[in-house]
Amino acid sequence: MSGERIVDADVGVLGAGPGGMAAAKALAAAGLRVVVLDEGHRAGGQIFRQLPPGAPHESIAEPPSHAHGHALIDGFAASKLELRSGASVWDAKPGRLWFEQDGASWLLRCKHLVLAPGAYDRCIPFPGWTLPGVLTAGALQVMVRGFGVVPGKRALVVGSGPLLLPTVTALASAGVKVVAALEATSRWRALRALPGVLGNGARLREALWYGRQLFAAGVKLQWGWTVFGVEGDGRVQRATIGKVDADGRPRRDTARTIEVDVVGAGFGLVPSIEAGLLLGCASRLLPARGGHCLVVDAEQRTSVAGVYAVGEACGIGGAEVAMAEGELAAAAIVRQERGAPIAGEVARKAVRERKAADAMLRAFAPLPGLHQRAQPDTIVCRCVDVTRARAKEAAVLHGGSHRAIKVGCRAGMGPCQARICGPSLQALACGRPDLPMDLPVAQTPLKAVRSETILNAPEG
Amino acid sequence: MSASRLPGADARPVVAFSFEGRRVEARQGDTVAMALWADGQQALRASSRDGAPRGVLCNMGICYECLVVVDGDTVRGCMQVVRQGMDVRRGGKP
Amino acid sequence: MAETADLIVVGGGIVGCAVVQHCAELLPKGARIVLLDRGAVAGATSGSCMGHLMVTPDDAQEYAFSATSVKLWAELEEREGGFDYNATGALYLADDPADIELFAVLQKQFADHGDRAEILDQKQLRELEPGLAHDLPGALFYRGDGVVLPMMACGAMLRQAKKHNPNVDVRPHTPVTGMLRQGDRIVGVQTAVGAIHADNVVNCCGVWAPELAEMAGQPRLPIVPRAGNLAITGHHVTPIKTQLLEISYIRFAHGAAKVDPTRTDDPGGHAMNMQPQSNGGCLIGSTRQFRGMDRTLNKALLHRSLLRAQRYAPGLAHAPIVRTWVGLRPYSLDKHPLIGPWPPLRGLWIAAGHEGLGITLSPITGRLLAEQITGRPTTIDATPYLPARFLR
Repeated sequence: MSGERIVDADVGVLGAGPGGMAAAKALAAAGLRVVVLDEGHRAGGQIFRQLPPGAPHESIAEPPSHAHGHALIDGFAASKLELRSGASVWDAKPGRLWFEQDGASWLLRCKHLVLAPGAYDRCIPFPGWTLPGVLTAGALQVMVRGFGVVPGKRALVVGSGPLLLPTVTALASAGVKVVAALEATSRWRALRALPGVLGNGARLREALWYGRQLFAAGVKLQWGWTVFGVEGDGRVQRATIGKVDADGRPRRDTARTIEVDVVGAGFGLVPSIEAGLLLGCASRLLPARGGHCLVVDAEQRTSVAGVYAVGEACGIGGAEVAMAEGELAAAAIVRQERGAPIAGEVARKAVRERKAADAMLRAFAPLPGLHQRAQPDTIVCRCVDVTRARAKEAAVLHGGSHRAIKVGCRAGMGPCQARICGPSLQALACGRPDLPMDLPVAQTPLKAVRSETILNAPEG
Repeated sequence: MSASRLPGADARPVVAFSFEGRRVEARQGDTVAMALWADGQQALRASSRDGAPRGVLCNMGICYECLVVVDGDTVRGCMQVVRQGMDVRRGGKP
Repeated sequence: MAETADLIVVGGGIVGCAVVQHCAELLPKGARIVLLDRGAVAGATSGSCMGHLMVTPDDAQEYAFSATSVKLWAELEEREGGFDYNATGALYLADDPADIELFAVLQKQFADHGDRAEILDQKQLRELEPGLAHDLPGALFYRGDGVVLPMMACGAMLRQAKKHNPNVDVRPHTPVTGMLRQGDRIVGVQTAVGAIHADNVVNCCGVWAPELAEMAGQPRLPIVPRAGNLAITGHHVTPIKTQLLEISYIRFAHGAAKVDPTRTDDPGGHAMNMQPQSNGGCLIGSTRQFRGMDRTLNKALLHRSLLRAQRYAPGLAHAPIVRTWVGLRPYSLDKHPLIGPWPPLRGLWIAAGHEGLGITLSPITGRLLAEQITGRPTTIDATPYLPARFLR
């Protein structure tokens, strides 16, 4: 019987990253019953990855901001709340989250929902990116800081934005030789990030720490460079790198080949808004914040009553933003439940952190020219093995919309549900890099779950 | 400890499982994908069209590139924690 | 100067694409054929349906209709390909003793047309499909059926059309906003980006065909949507290699419906239909329900679908379900499609209303319509499908 697989709470929190932990901790402190659902193995989310208990951690270097992370994880762990790790949420409506955990089908019933699902790496296809050994920047950080596994001997780190730095330091602390660290954005464009960094003491300290780490590791960040392609027999052996112009278009005359056995690619992040869309929350396209974002008011309320969203789902901003917004959402719920007013500093901090993040991240807006690296035979959709040429043919015969390209070649219809190819599919198929990414389709299941999980879903 | 792990004393118990019929030693708390990576196995699945090798891309349960068959069920290698004695096969075999 | 064409096809689903393909073959070389769709080609029903090629042996007419079309599918595979055509055959299954008697009934129907279906005992069934439940009493196996990917097939038909006639012009995302008339003649269509004049316009709009007919000032066509809930698994997991149908399907689907399509409280029904995909996925259906244009998931019906699929292929219980969705079948009120001219308005043609057999029947539909437009004798008797029957 599935009848007993129901959990009740005052507040359900989706995600145990910085935003979800901050919200849950504050809600629990106010005496509310909180249940946190997280697909990962331990609290912390992708940014504050923790090693399994007992694994050696002495060699991992961490930036100053991670002290906040550890404090939050400790405070979260000490809070009177329920964390359910390994929980895949697959269906949702206001006040209800259905999830699969250890192969069983569960329902969380709650009065308020806080969405803190985080983000995932934006992938931009290039020749050879399907070879084992090409990973996202986030994947390499998870490997080192989440599992203590050494990715390889000689690494290439490419991409755009602040997340390249922790990838380089994670690799360096694992003893991997970082052969090249390539930031596609030009140095002068990156200067636009300066006011956001200089105006925020914590971010400045963070930047200086990374500078020292890179220097100590002998890694020099190359601005206006990226990877053109990767080659190897069954795994990564070589990479071709070169300069790009201000819009990210490869300058083929600058290409040169280096020997590497692992490539980390991080071209920014994409907000995870699928659960919000399924709940009916309004969204809007904010390219500088990573794509389609959930719309929230000044107290993190979405357009759907009882549903709050914090952190990356409202636009990429980083851990500090997520923590501040998590606390703000919690304060708004506590006010409603307990009548306690929202402390002015809580609201101000959320605004301040978001502003600082926006000021920094706008310098690293996705460069459309990077799409020109993909060749006709480059695979665009990895699930269904669709090449760029096939996607282009679909766009001609079926139409240039996202839907048309999908039905014309089945790109985006595999198990990742277009999370990997979706952000660049239309630009690649139509040869129109200016086209924005399409709004993800809100469909159940949000993540693939067993047929029997759907069948055994508790009602209530 | 293997050179493919961070240095230092690992206090975790060893968990042994089988990959394609071969014994692999992992540590408690490893995922299948990370245990296999540490063991030098990066190709976890064959592409459904041309059989080309695929491995971990996102390492956080998004991309489904690391699909493996664990005791008969197709699962994401990066989300599945190792269990003593489990039978793991590459995904995508006919 | 207004644009002109020889033929305008409205609706880029599988039927519209088949009409374009066969008209490109039969109309004079160089004829201008324009395909318009307000959305994507294959973006609506043909992009959200199953893909079975199914020979229906109910009577001689239906048999000729479906079997000829399935042959045309094999020809398209040979000439063009690229749509995962797979002549899997079909296994009719049952678990209810009352239904098992239907094996012989269906077998005799195939035999009546000189065709052959085999009754498999438990052992033969297990040899053919070891992934099926071991307690099944047997099955009827018909080798003539198959599966395709309908949305990819739309592209294949259009590529074929362009090879025959480079003047075929495909225009997705071009809504028709009005029909141009002169007296009792159709003279073209108005689109959001301008008028196109043509002496012949074909309405291939499926569940939206009545809407287009109304634009031409015609009475509402007798086509209503019949919703189906579908689920698809991840890759590499299908326990089957043959298309599976519950034999009760023949009492329930297509022309066999006993439900009044005009009622608004149709609880809906289900008969198991499963299709293996070339990537190792499995498509799971099928449900039927009259409830207007509503495309929200009916979870109760979807659950029945998954449960029955699991009954026949127990391994599916652990298969990851990747997506679920709803598609709308164009159900014709007398259970037969409308293919041919619409006499009250010269130059207006209809090819719509195939319910759940649109994929199977699209090639023969395109053929019959192209033959009628060009005044040729038809490949099979087309009279049962003439839309004029609704004018009587």
